[in-house]
Amino acid sequence: MIPTLYACVHAAEFPAQALLRLRTDLRLQPVVVLEGKPPQEIVCSLNRLAKRRGLVCGVTRHDAEETGGIHVLARSAEVESSAASVLLEYVSRFSPRIEVASSNLSYSCVLDIAGTERLFGPSKELAERLHSSLADSGFRTSIAVSQNYHAALMKAHASRGINLIPTGEEAGALADLPVSALDLSEDHLETFVLWGIATLGELAALPEVELVMRFGSDARIWHELSRGIATHVFRPFETALRLEETYEFEDPVEQMDSLLFIGTRMIECLSHRAANHMLSISSLSIHMRLEDRSAHQLTIRPALPTTDRKFLLKLLQLELAAHPPQSAVVALTISAEPGMSRKMQLGLFAPQTPEPSRLDVTIARLKALVGEDRVGSAVLDDSHRPDSFHIESFSIDGKPFALQATSPHIALRRIRPAMPVRVVIHGSKPAAFRMEESSFQIKEAYGPWRTSGCWWSTSQWDAEEWDVLAMNASGESRACLLLRDCLRNEWRLEAYYD
Amino acid sequence: MERAKELELPAIALADRNGLYGVARFHTSGQRIGVKPHIGAEIAVSDFGNRRTPPSWLPHQIPPEPPRLVLLCASQVGYQNLCQLITRFKMREATKAEGAATLDELEEFSQGLICLTGGEEGPLAAALAQDGLAGARATLNRLTSIFGRGNVYVELQRHQLREEECRNQALMGLASELGIPVIATNGVCYATKEDVSLLDVFTSIRHHTTLDKAGRLLAMNSARYLRSAREMISLFRDVPDAIANTRIVSERIAFTLDNLGYEFPHYPVPEGETMDSFLEKRVEEGVRKRYGSAAKQHLLNKARAQVKHELALIAKLGFAGYFLIVWDIIRYCQKNGFLVQGRGSAANSAVCYALEITAVDPIGLELLFERFLSESRGEWPDIDLDLPSGDQREQVIQYVYERYGSLGAAMSANVITYRGRSAAREVGKALGFDEEQLTRLASLVGHWEWRGPNDTMASHFDHAGFDIRHPRIANYLDLCLRMQDLPRHLGQHSGGLVICAGLLNRVVPIERASMPGRTVIQWDKEDCADLGLIKVDLLGLGMMAVLKESIELIPHHYGQSVDLATLPEDQVVYETLRKADTVGMFQVESRAQMASIPHNAPERFYDLVVQVAIIRPGPIVGKMMNPYMRRRQGKEEVTYPHPLLEPVLKRTLGVPLFQEQLLRMAMTVASFSGAEAEELRRAVGMRRSMQRMKDLEGRLREGMSRNGIGAEAQDNIVQGISSFAMYGFPESHAASFALIAYASAYLKVHYLAAFTCAMLNNQPMGFYTPAVLIKDAQRHGLRVRPIDVQKSEWLCTLETEPDGSISLRIGMNYAKGLRKSTAEALAAERVRSGHFSSVDDLTFRVPSLNRKELVSLARIGAMNAIGGIEHRRDALWQVEQAGRPVGPLLNEIRDRDANSSPGPLRRMTNEERITADYAGTGLTTGPHPMAYHRAALRSEGILSADDLATYRHNQLVRIAGCVIARQRPGTAKGFVFLSLEDETGISNVIITPDIFERDRTTITRSRFLDIQGLLQNNDGVIHVKAQTIVPLDITSAEVRSHDFH
Repeated sequence: MIPTLYACVHAAEFPAQALLRLRTDLRLQPVVVLEGKPPQEIVCSLNRLAKRRGLVCGVTRHDAEETGGIHVLARSAEVESSAASVLLEYVSRFSPRIEVASSNLSYSCVLDIAGTERLFGPSKELAERLHSSLADSGFRTSIAVSQNYHAALMKAHASRGINLIPTGEEAGALADLPVSALDLSEDHLETFVLWGIATLGELAALPEVELVMRFGSDARIWHELSRGIATHVFRPFETALRLEETYEFEDPVEQMDSLLFIGTRMIECLSHRAANHMLSISSLSIHMRLEDRSAHQLTIRPALPTTDRKFLLKLLQLELAAHPPQSAVVALTISAEPGMSRKMQLGLFAPQTPEPSRLDVTIARLKALVGEDRVGSAVLDDSHRPDSFHIESFSIDGKPFALQATSPHIALRRIRPAMPVRVVIHGSKPAAFRMEESSFQIKEAYGPWRTSGCWWSTSQWDAEEWDVLAMNASGESRACLLLRDCLRNEWRLEAYYD
Repeated sequence: MERAKELELPAIALADRNGLYGVARFHTSGQRIGVKPHIGAEIAVSDFGNRRTPPSWLPHQIPPEPPRLVLLCASQVGYQNLCQLITRFKMREATKAEGAATLDELEEFSQGLICLTGGEEGPLAAALAQDGLAGARATLNRLTSIFGRGNVYVELQRHQLREEECRNQALMGLASELGIPVIATNGVCYATKEDVSLLDVFTSIRHHTTLDKAGRLLAMNSARYLRSAREMISLFRDVPDAIANTRIVSERIAFTLDNLGYEFPHYPVPEGETMDSFLEKRVEEGVRKRYGSAAKQHLLNKARAQVKHELALIAKLGFAGYFLIVWDIIRYCQKNGFLVQGRGSAANSAVCYALEITAVDPIGLELLFERFLSESRGEWPDIDLDLPSGDQREQVIQYVYERYGSLGAAMSANVITYRGRSAAREVGKALGFDEEQLTRLASLVGHWEWRGPNDTMASHFDHAGFDIRHPRIANYLDLCLRMQDLPRHLGQHSGGLVICAGLLNRVVPIERASMPGRTVIQWDKEDCADLGLIKVDLLGLGMMAVLKESIELIPHHYGQSVDLATLPEDQVVYETLRKADTVGMFQVESRAQMASIPHNAPERFYDLVVQVAIIRPGPIVGKMMNPYMRRRQGKEEVTYPHPLLEPVLKRTLGVPLFQEQLLRMAMTVASFSGAEAEELRRAVGMRRSMQRMKDLEGRLREGMSRNGIGAEAQDNIVQGISSFAMYGFPESHAASFALIAYASAYLKVHYLAAFTCAMLNNQPMGFYTPAVLIKDAQRHGLRVRPIDVQKSEWLCTLETEPDGSISLRIGMNYAKGLRKSTAEALAAERVRSGHFSSVDDLTFRVPSLNRKELVSLARIGAMNAIGGIEHRRDALWQVEQAGRPVGPLLNEIRDRDANSSPGPLRRMTNEERITADYAGTGLTTGPHPMAYHRAALRSEGILSADDLATYRHNQLVRIAGCVIARQRPGTAKGFVFLSLEDETGISNVIITPDIFERDRTTITRSRFLDIQGLLQNNDGVIHVKAQTIVPLDITSAEVRSHDFH
């Protein structure tokens, strides 16, 4: 059997640690980290000084602030992710084989350190170097070393500083840990509390077979875990594939062709690299550094992940044509977001249908042309707000479309955006309005038709509509829909009646 | 109504949906304000199909429902028809539901009703949308054929909506074609434009959705407000007839609720008898029974004279039937062995006493009949009957239904309004707050009776971490405040039964209650009183059930029988009361009662009557308590406002306490008649009319002058009467309650086991939790045995110990998580086949026991008497396996295990046992949690509750205990009172408002407290005035406290 040796690094209160790592000014202050949306925020992580003030996770911002002298920080996923990368970078100096075993509020990783004695000396020395190196980079961690993966992990979670578990003494080393160190359900935890089983040592002392008779096969795993003999298949962490190409031009480039020439090559490389990992490209971010020191950013997001180089190029060409840089380009970076390739099982006897992706491509092209949120099916909202609708992606439900017989209606031609007009009021009715350079006298006005709503939110509206028959100086008459925004007291020409 | 008055509208009609829910209040406020109230309802008619909804291509969530017509009551016949119509379709439903009428029913009950065709929710709008003009024409023709041509009006509404106006034009054409008049209405849903937000919130609540998702369910604009006549005329200037017809319709409506046609039922009497003569005979029988004994012989003549006076008035007012009907209910209870006792002012009546409606002797106690009934009152007498809560009360209610028919009697309703917590939850839901936020908010809305300056909604929100500047939160806060006291739903009154001669459903609609077998009218008790409907209150009183159960237990276990009607005046009982040893006793167990009863030092029944009456917000706020107590203790001289008043006030040491005394004062000093005196009490007490009060005061002063009372004494008397009229308590009611209080004290003192058993079996009731009741009983020497599957029944029971003493066995109803059916199956199996030999035997013989129930029983030690189980964890170890099928591989081990030594788990420690007891039963029969720590507590200088009596006034002391009650009474100006329990008794703590603010979290959340403060010993009433309060970490047991009284 191949000898194993693991070192587990555990950083408790990681949201707080990640934020405080770079805020040396706050290290000697009580700090809490809040999560949740205002006005509902609760403490999710805190440092030791805050704990000493009696604070715990779960209290509200108000309670935390009332304690006095507490620094309150907001949880940041970006900062935590970046701190995790740094931590991983540090630990990876000690072993290339690392398994990450983090939870929401702490960060843990287990290093496979078997055979590293020649490089770093005995495991104690390695653990000390690891600990001090992480401490230098601002992380307060606990480290446990054991030939058993789970023993190292549980010990590091439950203890402080460095703990070395000699081979064969795992059960003893774990005996004092609480049973909550195991990943137990609420029900099982409650049963153990009722049984008076508080530690792994007490659990290990129970007869295994009888435990299995009471809890099933899970009990065997708990028993092995509590004795430090549970096995584990190590799943080393691999660094994420980063698809990015950068090119710095010798001279600033103004010509689109030159830009596309380089861009073509970069996209080829990126799609080739993605294909090597059995991946497609789900989006491309194009970052251009410009001569005037500003930056120009574009994003291409095909409807489906693809490695179709020509298609991506076409999209790039369209995007650049639609949004050209305002100055010569000094450097070009293209990064790609990998996505899974589209797979489709064709039936042997099913008739060949047009490639479904062609619709997606067309939509993608349209989206590239007019914008993400402006392509799809218009769907009316369940709201009294006039002209309220949203766009949904096209979908085909396969049902035949039934044409309903409708009586002839007057067509309403909406003007988007509505045109601001100046209205003359006479006797509480609109008498005339002026639009751009033209003036209209109102011959007939019907209304007001009133709608209002959403008084509880910022999208509140209160509108008054008038159907008017208006005539300009040249005798041209129009049936229009005028709208007064009562909240802002503004008039708009909303539509014409055909 | 107030808005209608502001707008100078001469009349206004109310049309609730499928009911007359609001008309009573509408009528009374209309009369008060001076706006003519017209009565009507919107009636759903299922035969018209579904109401108009947006077209199918327009997304909406409006559920299909029948269209609704507006029916207005033109005459009393019309009103009776409307009530019957609503009752008909409401009672057709199996449960409480909206329901809908059919066209045939409309036809049957159409007389006397004016029909308006409704707005967008009406049948014409639906027919127009569905079938165009032809459909609308057919519908209109159908309506005119039902109600008659002159009684149908085509309703026009203008809410500035295109589709509505289009419909109006079509309807105007149709009306003119068919010669049917049009009428302008506004489909009003709220008083002012701003109230549309409340309507939207109510709509969201009704449809169980949020405002964001409600879409077209919400109001399209805010035009359904109450418009002035001028505004309506301007809106309908092109249809002047529509406005003119509103006046015509209003003038046609002659009916008001003053003319309800309600009559109380007649009692069936034998031939040759009138109700009066029949009542007289029954009363005479009663007088002989009540006063025939030698002990009461001296009162007989006086009683005869009094009943004669009362019967004459009853006959004059025509109330004999009412008394006979209540007597009939009493007879039913007596026949079935139910305890029953009248409470309230009925106890002033010798007739009620003779009929055994009440148990207090008004002659012996010199109570004043006029407080109960007087000629000038113009009101029906009010008799409330207390019955044991539970099944027996339900049986009596069903008896009344049976006797007067399902349409002759019904429960009165109870309008449930939005309060802080319910408003906070439901507005929050409508605004889209998630469950966690809602729970936090709702839990923060305090239920403390006294509200300090910081107890505003805004401060609650701030505490919960909500930013009140946030627009959604600001709206939330505003809506919560505006929702306060608005109606939420109609519940069922706890016991008010309305009875009617003939058909009650012609007086008020009746509908199904949520509770099976119950029907409920659409008005609440105040509305009934305002409109002269008579109800008999059949109230459930937990203590009546306790008394009943106690007197049933006593003969079985003590070999004696107890008659509650003839309990002796027992000095041991008074001694116990004087010591404030009153946990569990009716009315005198609260913290405030305990603090005052030693000062009052009751020695006879009347002292208890005073005691029951004096610890009330009224007498406390009216500053009557302290003067009385000082005089009682001889610390203050007994004086009277005038020597003439000495006989009236002598019993209460010159301090007027009872409403009856006010009446007697007026009768004595100003020669008022009983009726006039009662009128004075009501005028001063209710403060209804300043003019009326002035008139009465003038008459009072005149009378006093005639009797030679000087001006200064007159001022004193008038001042005394007006200051105490608001706060006085009815002596008769106090006497009725004092009887029950004395009975409970008597039973507790002499039959502790039976009384405690009955108390535990009738929870929840009273001031203390079962855990406190048990500890108190144990301190008084009762042995309390824990739940045991080999002995316990579902309810608590009494057992005879080998030494002949009686002990109490806790019932399985206290085992949390155990179903009643399972516990009863267990007990039945035990009776059938004997004790359980093992856990497996138990699970085999009682297969309905599930794993959770087994664990619950094992955890609380209920299986410890089963063979092979040495302690609770043995049982816990075994129940995890019991009932689990195992494969053949493990069977052998299982068999071996069953015969082998006990399980591998260690015994529970004391702390673990206590925690398990409280978690599993909410109580412990073992030592009090504090007892385990006494030595350590003593070494820290912490005293026990019984130590305090040995310390001096103003000495600094430190106490600790489990918080069993927290109170912040409305009358205590922000002071908080805590009761701390330890193994020796209960100690009382006073917390000043500033200390409460400082340690609010500790005081409200900690289960055990360590308190240091100055001891206050006022004539044996001991308090500790807290200076420092810290939580005490004694046990993690979940002990419960009774808070917020």
